[in-house]
Amino acid sequence: MSKITSGNKRILIINRGEIAARIAKACRELGHTAVGVWTDNEVQAKHLEVCDEWVRLPGSTNAETYLNIPNILEVCKKYQIDGVHPGYGFLSENTEFSQALVDNGIVWIGPHPEAVRVMGDKAVSKEFAKKVGMPVVPGSTGPVKTVEEAIKIGNEIKYPILLKAVAGGGGRGMRTCFNEQDVRDNFEAVGREAASAFKNGDLLVEKFIVNPHHIEVQILADRKGNVFHFFERECSIQRRHQKIVEEAPSPFIGDDEDLRQRVCMSAVKLAKAINYDSAGTVELIMGEDKEFYFLEMNTRIQVEHPITEEITGIDLIVCMIQSAFGDDLGIPSQEWITRTGHAIECRICAEDPITMLPAPGTVTGCETNFPQGTRFDNCLYKGLQVTPDFDPMVGKLVVKGILREVAIRKMRAALDGLLLEGLKTNIPLHKVIMRNEVFIKGKYSTNFIALEKPQEQVVTDMNFTSIYKQIAGIEARRMGL
Amino acid sequence: MRTYLIDNDKNEYIVDLTKTITHSAEMVEFEFRTIKDQKELNKETIFVRKLADQYFASTDGVRWNKLARQDSPGIMLNVDKVFKLYRGYKPSSLGGGDEGGLFTQMPGKVVKINCKVGDKVEKGQTLLILEAMKMENEIKVGTKGTVKAIHVKTGDALDNGVLMIEVEAE
Repeated sequence: MSKITSGNKRILIINRGEIAARIAKACRELGHTAVGVWTDNEVQAKHLEVCDEWVRLPGSTNAETYLNIPNILEVCKKYQIDGVHPGYGFLSENTEFSQALVDNGIVWIGPHPEAVRVMGDKAVSKEFAKKVGMPVVPGSTGPVKTVEEAIKIGNEIKYPILLKAVAGGGGRGMRTCFNEQDVRDNFEAVGREAASAFKNGDLLVEKFIVNPHHIEVQILADRKGNVFHFFERECSIQRRHQKIVEEAPSPFIGDDEDLRQRVCMSAVKLAKAINYDSAGTVELIMGEDKEFYFLEMNTRIQVEHPITEEITGIDLIVCMIQSAFGDDLGIPSQEWITRTGHAIECRICAEDPITMLPAPGTVTGCETNFPQGTRFDNCLYKGLQVTPDFDPMVGKLVVKGILREVAIRKMRAALDGLLLEGLKTNIPLHKVIMRNEVFIKGKYSTNFIALEKPQEQVVTDMNFTSIYKQIAGIEARRMGL
Repeated sequence: MRTYLIDNDKNEYIVDLTKTITHSAEMVEFEFRTIKDQKELNKETIFVRKLADQYFASTDGVRWNKLARQDSPGIMLNVDKVFKLYRGYKPSSLGGGDEGGLFTQMPGKVVKINCKVGDKVEKGQTLLILEAMKMENEIKVGTKGTVKAIHVKTGDALDNGVLMIEVEAE
């Protein structure tokens, strides 16, 4: 193990909720001072309980508080801040902010601003990935004018292909073609549809990825040129293109170690090409044929980082802070990083379990009764008001088992042991997913929610016993029990 | 004791506590029944046991589950349905904000509360000031009566449809 230095820095955590608490814990462990922030919208900001110093951000909207770059720079000066950790969301992928900090001699706990800039733009990052030899979803480089041109590309990139409007969106102006005849039959129609819907009839041709999987690789790099991967995560269970269940390793890659190696090393190659120097994630889309393509790179810590921490035993947030201050990560080589077992994360959101739409409210009761080895990153407490001002995610339930089936078993028990009252949550939906046969087999794609419709299996009948128990608790309390 | 559960569609379940047996300083047995539209839907016995400063509940006194204890919640959840919960009595009106139950008509922040539980109030008296849409709104009571419960405190940010104050009409 190499020498690990650091300590005695003042770190501003410009975030809230569970991630702010998670970062504060890492700061304190390293001997740094964790400076937390709060706003008038969250006077009871629970993340402050693990912060050493508390700073109020004036204003009532996120634009005036968490996104207010000039004010945050003022705060940094006033409180003699050495480094800023942005967490995820808010300013975590903002080039202007990271550059402003660097210009003011403050350490940005994230990658160098150029990496944030290149990876922050979908088109620019795709071009960059292509240039360094990373596969991107094959297709036309610009608008396709004729049927013959579309067929030529189709033959090159192999069917099925997707004809899609340049200006399209929301599934309109889009058609999947499985052969040459399909292209002949549909080309003009899609063009007309696009012209009438978007006033632009230009079409693109792109390879259609059948039953895609969302696979991502965790990267961690120091400021000395060392880039490591921490294996992959699979995040194919999504609603509204947002992940709700993640697992590591990917059940789709399974025991195909050769594929795992290729996936992970391609991410390392990309990160090295941009001189990456922090924690980051390379997101990929993988077809059922196991061909994979670059999607984007997230230049920050991600919500689902705990599952990687669970299988590798590495504290990614601690490493990210050490890296930013130029410290040694204490990781001698890629081979030194190993994984054991299987980890699953369920995102617990304040939302209707059937419609999956956000449902603000107040937590009136909160207790846990978890199986051994459960990790619950959260900022919940009795009385918490979940308002529409912020993201509806209120916690992350993470379990690890020696086998995937053990992890699923633990997650079922953990969900049963997460007792939240007063607030609608997606816990009932997660319980259905953890018992879904397709999920249990590990053979699901990003179409899982659309095909399996787990929300339709959530039992919504009046549960009298559960209601009586709650009322009994209230009555017992009043009796002075 | 009777508890009313009423959802946004005005579905009303009445949960009656029909029997209470105190077994010890740590354990109580309750019997509940649910009535909807004058029909009894269900009847069950529930045991509550205090253990190591936590509450546990059981239907048979044998198998126990931890309870996320709620002190005096204003709502009760059943998977995807939210019921407003009234213990002991039902407000005289649930329609507008001007009768027995004072509900928020729009999201807002409680600026000031002008009454306390037990106060006798006159019709038209301002009981609470709510800041909404950047304006201060006086929330007046639509009936003469007694303040039964105040469910909010100064500074609370409230959603639409939240019960703030309950007044029992005379």
